[in-house]
Amino acid sequence: MADPQATAAAHATEGGHATVRTYINVAIALAVITAVEVASLYIPGIPSGLLVSSLLLMSAVKFFLVVGFFMHLRYDHPILRALFVGPLIIAILIILAVMALFSAFVLLPRVVL
Amino acid sequence: MADHAVAHAVHDPNIGNTGLDNRKMGMWAFLGSDCMFFGSLIGTYLAYKGKSISGPLPHDVFDIPLTSYSAALLLASSLTMVLALAALQQSRVKAAGGWLFVTAMLGLHFVLNQVYEFTTFVLHHGLKLSTSLFGSSFFVLTGFHGAHVTGGVIWLLILVSLAMRGQLDARDYTKVEITGLYWHFVDIVWVAIFTVIYLIP
Repeated sequence: MADPQATAAAHATEGGHATVRTYINVAIALAVITAVEVASLYIPGIPSGLLVSSLLLMSAVKFFLVVGFFMHLRYDHPILRALFVGPLIIAILIILAVMALFSAFVLLPRVVL
Repeated sequence: MADHAVAHAVHDPNIGNTGLDNRKMGMWAFLGSDCMFFGSLIGTYLAYKGKSISGPLPHDVFDIPLTSYSAALLLASSLTMVLALAALQQSRVKAAGGWLFVTAMLGLHFVLNQVYEFTTFVLHHGLKLSTSLFGSSFFVLTGFHGAHVTGGVIWLLILVSLAMRGQLDARDYTKVEITGLYWHFVDIVWVAIFTVIYLIP
């Protein structure tokens, strides 16, 4: 049977995982971004377009911080990256396609014959 | 690199021809498919947004401070999950068990908050699954996410019980890592839901 410490060490060096210090820094960054997101809702006078785009940007940063550092995808094998990023792109395309499909019924001008 | 992979394949039946752990690859493939599942639900919610012909509407029912608190709980649980993994990597099994327990409790707290939110929507605002397009798309999306979190809490508690009985050690690193991947995934789905459903006006 394999030595437990050797096995764990092998796993750790294979992926080159982040340190505990990195994890804590990422968690602080996530907390700060979330606080800014929520606070931005209560600041009057922010143009709607700017608010929506900044919220989406902050959400994307949080998403990639968790995936990259906590899920170790930043350090993992390209096959694993492809297994997740490929379907993620398809998921984003599904969201855009469904929205375009439904909005089309309302927004497209009707052809009068 | 190849020699390293072959050496692993000889000792560990879970290592395939790619040199990667099959269980880990399987989990990433599952998470990829789950991405598309949640993509469909989020797309449907956005497609129906603003098209309900009867109330209550989102701004009538959403409790942003409560939902922000829930978001903070899940983000904190992601940190405790990686701390559990780091502890197991250093063969500190008791500490790993403790962090896994804290992760499960944070997840359970999130689920209870969601139960409270749903109950308030139904009893105080009269918003049900069949009330409107908003009700249907909201409950289905957040309900499926809540079911994922509940599954994750059960999975974490199983690992905690294994740790308490001395049946979890550094050799089980991949088992805990896979659990962590699932747990972080429910966190990132909530990151998307929190912004798209709750924060964007």
